[in-house]
Amino acid sequence: MTTLSPSTTFTYPRHYNFPPFFTRQPQLTTFHAQCRKWSLLIQAYCRFHRLFRLPLDSPLFTNERLNRRLVPEDARAVLDFMRSEGRAEWVRGGEERSVAWVWWRTPEEWAGIIGDWVEETAQKNTVLTLYELTEGEATVSQEFHGMDPEVLQRALAILVKRGKAQVFGQEDQQGVKFF
Amino acid sequence: MFLKSIDLTTALRPSYLPDEVLLFVQDNVGLYEGKSKIPDHQNGSVYLTSHRICYVDNADPRKNSAAIDLKDIDRFEFYAGFLKSSPKITLIPKPSKRSSVQSRAVSSLGSPSRSATSSPLSRTDSPFRVPTTEPPPASTATWICPICSFSNPVPSNFDPATASAHTPLAPCLACGIKPPLALVLKAAISSVTNRPPPSSSQFSGAPLPIRGRTDLPLSPSDTSTRPHSQSPISNSNGALQSNTRASFQCPRCTFENHPSLLSCELCGAPLISQDPSSGLDNSTLRAESPGPTLSHLQLPGIENESIKLSFRAGGEKIFYERLKGCMTQRKWLLQGAPPVPRPNRASGTESGISWSGTSTPTGERMKTVGIAGLEQRRLEVQKNNEIIIGNAFEDLEALMASAKEIVALAESFASSNGNTSSESSAVANALGLVTTKDMLGGGSNSESLYITELSRNLAEFLTDDARGVLRKAGGIISLVDLWAMFNRARGGVELVSPSDFEKAARLWEKLKLPVRLRQFKSGVLVVQGSDRTDEKTIKALLAWLSSLHSVPPDKELAWDWQTFGRGVTAHDTAEHFGWSIGVAEEELEMAEDRGALCREESDEGLKFWENWIDPDQSPSSDQPYNVI
Repeated sequence: MTTLSPSTTFTYPRHYNFPPFFTRQPQLTTFHAQCRKWSLLIQAYCRFHRLFRLPLDSPLFTNERLNRRLVPEDARAVLDFMRSEGRAEWVRGGEERSVAWVWWRTPEEWAGIIGDWVEETAQKNTVLTLYELTEGEATVSQEFHGMDPEVLQRALAILVKRGKAQVFGQEDQQGVKFF
Repeated sequence: MFLKSIDLTTALRPSYLPDEVLLFVQDNVGLYEGKSKIPDHQNGSVYLTSHRICYVDNADPRKNSAAIDLKDIDRFEFYAGFLKSSPKITLIPKPSKRSSVQSRAVSSLGSPSRSATSSPLSRTDSPFRVPTTEPPPASTATWICPICSFSNPVPSNFDPATASAHTPLAPCLACGIKPPLALVLKAAISSVTNRPPPSSSQFSGAPLPIRGRTDLPLSPSDTSTRPHSQSPISNSNGALQSNTRASFQCPRCTFENHPSLLSCELCGAPLISQDPSSGLDNSTLRAESPGPTLSHLQLPGIENESIKLSFRAGGEKIFYERLKGCMTQRKWLLQGAPPVPRPNRASGTESGISWSGTSTPTGERMKTVGIAGLEQRRLEVQKNNEIIIGNAFEDLEALMASAKEIVALAESFASSNGNTSSESSAVANALGLVTTKDMLGGGSNSESLYITELSRNLAEFLTDDARGVLRKAGGIISLVDLWAMFNRARGGVELVSPSDFEKAARLWEKLKLPVRLRQFKSGVLVVQGSDRTDEKTIKALLAWLSSLHSVPPDKELAWDWQTFGRGVTAHDTAEHFGWSIGVAEEELEMAEDRGALCREESDEGLKFWENWIDPDQSPSSDQPYNVI
């Protein structure tokens, strides 16, 4: 699975240039379709730019060429829809809801990927620091390289729950041992 | 035949003859012939007009509707009802020896050519034309003195067209009281009606008959294809006239009475009663109708059986009163009356010229061709109009007598101004042909009957091709607009209240009328043809939108217009389809609601697009963006 598209700029889907795409559709079926399209677009966009958090004022929501913009209110609705799909989560819930995690890989998937990597590289029963895991040279080719530390924490927490890893250490000095 | 089949309008009401005026409507009426019920004629509405009594069946109106010409009715009797027996009105036809000639003539005309008997006044053509004939011998006209009931001859020098309040009138021969002008005027006109034409070919060429406000005047060729159509009627009228005159001998004192008198001038014995006796004699010859199986509309020769109207939901009293009034007024006699003779006939060179487009110009006409002829003609028409208007407004009676001319004049004015929309229709409507509350019978359901009739009225109004209300509004019109238009067309009288209007509109579906009321999501009520469905509207919208793909935009667009086309506002849509903006908004939202369109809100306002968002609705298969 390729993680990075060969081109250096993100190619928007065709409907990104369809003006009504930026207006919240009142008709339910249409709105559902609209949300699905936005969801796929946001995931693709975040994957391309390796974004884990997406603020509501992201440039993605503004189409300069068309001079159209998905207003934050509607973007929030789209992200709420993604949340129901399990593809997004609010960084801080409640009233604030201005930045969302975008799970173009869900924490479970991340956990699986990390676990697979550990197994492939035969690093079971070794201790790695979290810094090593995301920023170390050994993981440059891996998808989780440069991962958001919070996302990593959540992925590791899942591994811990499965009994495949153990996290220990202080705040920024954390290490992880895989079993 | 006594009962005749009739034409119905689109709204399943009887279509009226040109001068016919609706007087009364009552529903829940059944028909009897003699003593037995007529099958399939047991639940319907009865329309009393100035000329006919029409029965329109509720179940199958197109098949089972019939009419009785009032002129064929000799007598009518009232039966108040007893216990379970409903009140009834019995209509006794004129005896065959008199009515046969006439009814045969009428039935030979059939419904399509019924118009041939209509008024010669053409409302679209020049309304005034000179009869090509000489004025009728004045001696045939008589007026009945309102004081002593003596029938006086109308003076031979009396010309109805020029007569004014200053015309000297001879006093009554019996009592010496001077008659009112209107009386003599009416007598003169009705005598003109009954006068046989001197030459049928001449006569048939002159007037273009019209039939009802919906129909166009018949083309000249149409008229010429049945030149005979006028003559049998007129001849039969003449025959009837002479026959009547001969037979109206008082049975008691043998005084020769005038046919229009109801009782003998000398001894006061009722004159009418002699006819039914002969009529009843004839009817006894016929075997009793064998019950509900009789197919009586098709049987020839059954002419003297009386017809009963059974009023199962009341209304018989008013019906009876109105019928009585109607039989006394005898409006049908005016039908087919030539227009009032032109006053300047005697003024020399113009005598005998017919303005009718169908008649060939006479030799005299040839002399004044070209601009001079046109000018002369215009001048004459002007003079004519002056006289008619002057006469008509002298007093109310005279106005009623010359209503036809005035309406024709008003319409010709309206059309010459190029303004045929609301004004002329208002005039036509002011003369009746609309149901008003006082025309409807009593009983517990008079309100619902009114609504039903209003509903039919409305449907007629909407589907009237001449008016084209729906067509002009792009096939759809909001109920409020229609209400305003309808009330305006009623000419400010007998306005319809909004709630009645809405109730009437809601009845369309139930009455199976060709229009329907539709409610948009927002609650707006609109009216459209019943054949117009949402699917058709959406199809039309989508077809239009997809046609925009191939139209290059006037300015550079940021999006791929060849793929997505363009967004349209309600205004664009209204313009394209001829709808009102409110309707366009509603239709667009309806299409959006069905998922066919999607919306775009921007600085430029709300626009609607083909739905490229929902892959199920996209005009062509849209590739969903796949990330995985």
